[in-house]
Amino acid sequence: MTTLPTPPASAAPAQAAGPVVSRAGPGSVALNLLLNVLRRREVQLVLAILGLFALCTALHPQFGVASNIAFILADSVTIMIVAVGQTIVVLGRGIDLSVSPVLGMAAVSAGFLAADNNLNIWLALLLVLAIGTGLGVGSGFLVSVVGIPPIIATLATLTIYGGWQFIICGGMSVINIPAVYTNFGAANLLPGVPWLVVIGAGVVSVAYLFLKKTVTGRSVYAVGNNADAAFRAGIPVRRILFTTYVISGFLAGLAGLIYLCQIGSATSTSGSDGNTNLMSIAATLIGGTTLLGGRGGPVGSALGAVFLSEALQAMISFRINEIWDPAGVGLLILIAVVADRKGVPVRQLFRQPFRQPAGATR
Amino acid sequence: MWVPLRYWRSGEMSAHNLSLDGLEVLARQNEPGTRVTSGPSAAVGLQGKRYTANSVTKSFDGAAVLSEVSITFEPGEIHTIVGENGAGKSTLVKIMAGIYQPDSGELLLGQDRLAGLTPRSAQHRGIYLVPQEPALMASLSITENLFVGILRRGRLRFNVDWASMKREASAHLARVGLDIDPECRAEELSVAQQQLVECARALVHRCAVIYFDEPTSPLTAKEAGTLFDVMGSLRSDGYTLGFISHRLDEVLAISDRVTVLRDGAKVLSAPRSEVDKAALVKAMIGRELITRERVRPHFDAAGRKEMLAVEGLTSAPSFEEVSFSVRAGEIVGLAGLVGSGRTEIAETIFGLRRTDRGTVRVEGRLLEHRAPRICIDAGLVYLPEDRGRHGIFAEVEVERNVTAGVIPRLERFGPLLKPSAERVMAQQATEKTAVRMASLDTLMKALSGGNQQRAMLSRWLLAGPRVAIFDEPTRGVDVGAKDDIYRLVAQLADEGLALVLISSELNELTITCDRVLAMYEGQVVGELSGAEIADASLGALVVGGHLK
Repeated sequence: MTTLPTPPASAAPAQAAGPVVSRAGPGSVALNLLLNVLRRREVQLVLAILGLFALCTALHPQFGVASNIAFILADSVTIMIVAVGQTIVVLGRGIDLSVSPVLGMAAVSAGFLAADNNLNIWLALLLVLAIGTGLGVGSGFLVSVVGIPPIIATLATLTIYGGWQFIICGGMSVINIPAVYTNFGAANLLPGVPWLVVIGAGVVSVAYLFLKKTVTGRSVYAVGNNADAAFRAGIPVRRILFTTYVISGFLAGLAGLIYLCQIGSATSTSGSDGNTNLMSIAATLIGGTTLLGGRGGPVGSALGAVFLSEALQAMISFRINEIWDPAGVGLLILIAVVADRKGVPVRQLFRQPFRQPAGATR
Repeated sequence: MWVPLRYWRSGEMSAHNLSLDGLEVLARQNEPGTRVTSGPSAAVGLQGKRYTANSVTKSFDGAAVLSEVSITFEPGEIHTIVGENGAGKSTLVKIMAGIYQPDSGELLLGQDRLAGLTPRSAQHRGIYLVPQEPALMASLSITENLFVGILRRGRLRFNVDWASMKREASAHLARVGLDIDPECRAEELSVAQQQLVECARALVHRCAVIYFDEPTSPLTAKEAGTLFDVMGSLRSDGYTLGFISHRLDEVLAISDRVTVLRDGAKVLSAPRSEVDKAALVKAMIGRELITRERVRPHFDAAGRKEMLAVEGLTSAPSFEEVSFSVRAGEIVGLAGLVGSGRTEIAETIFGLRRTDRGTVRVEGRLLEHRAPRICIDAGLVYLPEDRGRHGIFAEVEVERNVTAGVIPRLERFGPLLKPSAERVMAQQATEKTAVRMASLDTLMKALSGGNQQRAMLSRWLLAGPRVAIFDEPTRGVDVGAKDDIYRLVAQLADEGLALVLISSELNELTITCDRVLAMYEGQVVGELSGAEIADASLGALVVGGHLK
């Protein structure tokens, strides 16, 4: 029997290719170790954050003061939390374009009730989480049950939810938020450590544990990497996909409350004015999660959010007009994507998420 | 939308080129003194040429697929190439159609030596390959599909002359027996109709040397009959026709000459009148069926517990009324060609396909609404045929690839998985199948095909199966891994696992299986056990022959 001509994998030499195999003597082991560490996107981002920080501080000593560092970190928290949800969706080979109106809906709903009825902040928390989860269920349903490609399904929910946000506002803005909200937005846990930063770090940690250490989280990677193989391995693919969108909505709702506390107001354009969609996807891509799914993680995305916040702050300190902000973010996305040699699989996003075989019952 | 645009542009360019070197040259050579006019009448007058391959050799990644094959296709003849899967049939016609370049050897069209042939230049020379699966652009009209690459310009030079193309399209469609509106979109047609459109495309491109690469495998007998009528009428018009099939009955019915390839070499080439079915079967499978020792003595499973019982399983149109059972410690083979329904049976058992009728029992327990999770939990696992698409998670570590089938069963601390327990499991599982890798943290894509397959096997063994279906377990793996996999299969059976082994390689089945079911066209056509497996009748059964 001859081997079949088509699969070239057959003839590939049997090599156990590790990350970087040491070719020289044992002296280069340390160097190889260093190179492997430097390959990690998280490490690259930490270096980039520190490098940009050093550069800006050298040129503008004011950039390096503790209060500015706290500001940069606190400013990144909203996007960081949304980006963590976005990351989970992207890991499942999806995308969630509806995060900005989910954030906006949460912010205006809690805002109006707080301003008019003096809503307790804990009840507001429950409210935004419920809203975010509910809206996430909507997107998740369209993608995983109806089977609409994610980019189209969430484009639809983006528009629908944005419309609802507009209706709720009825042309008004929330301005007089009770002080308890805005105080919390500015409060420090320890001197120089804002509460918001602690919350952001908490969300990232929980997401990290979820993705690495739970059955569902682990399945997200498998589904994003190869949905067919995941289904054949007994993983409930559609349920996993659904869960990712629900989590994304949940976190976008949480981010809505943080937005409200930080900004102290909310309007019909909250969420979309700060380009939440673009920024969350930017942080995710910069953080090393690929749109191909199955590769990356929330820590990189959180660092990506910090880096974006720092870069925007740097632009301010260099007196670059903020109308250039989106262009700057776009440039960073390009750099991140080019650095990730696989590129952006545009067609992948328009493909049906997962087609369960016709005969399968589950 | 960019797909049609791209083709449009290339179409305009090629219309220009074609008028210079392709069409008219061909026409002049074929019809001296005749002025070519556009339209079907000219196409009818096309005359095929003798097309010869001399000592063509081709290998992929070091594996020889064709060695020193010489073959001649004469005008006015249907010349059929038969052979088992992997014998090199498709590779040969792909070389003749310019899709692959031969490593050595030459191609002669009439008196011309063709060097550096590409699919495009082959078409300009009048050589066309109708692919195994029709490759039409689903959302474009039939007219556009027919004229892709040679869209005709209208009087304004930048517009497209739809009217004349439509007229010509209708005529060509009628020529291949298709009575359809050339305006309808390709996706509205059945596979058989699409195949005929491919054939019409060859005519539109004024190709008089046409190859058909297993065109009948997706067709019903009646549809195949229509195709044969068209081929017959092209033959009487002097076209040069090459045909690939492994359905021997149809081969004998329509061929003028038959060539048999085995393991990339020509073993027989004779006029139809000089061969019969027995001669072809013998040539296809050869004498030396057994080249290896059995990995395990024949095992008599009588009295052992019945682990898998399949009763009257049907999933039309792939296969019908399939029944078999596998006992503990027994290895049962499913032999058959690609498309005979082997993989479809496995997928239906595993809940990946619709079940029309029939039952599946594992250890006597009826599995009613089957899905992978349910089957795995019942002790039934399925190693898929296409490892890359259905098996591995390429970007994920080996460890997690191995434990993917059992994540819900892993030891936990609250909601969190215990990493140490998982590592130990993965360690043991990969040791059993001898996966060679830098570490368990190596990404799956970095492993060779053989090691990926070992990792896949360890995934399924980790699930603690009592019944395992291995679909082409040695496909795309190196020789050393093959031997290891055979030994593992034998060892698993010794340990009491009930095994179903699917393979296109009959040798593989003869050295491992205790019983073999032969599949042909969705039916179980025979069952062999013990020493019977080793003789040539298995080879005859899977190509539609009979027990001797």
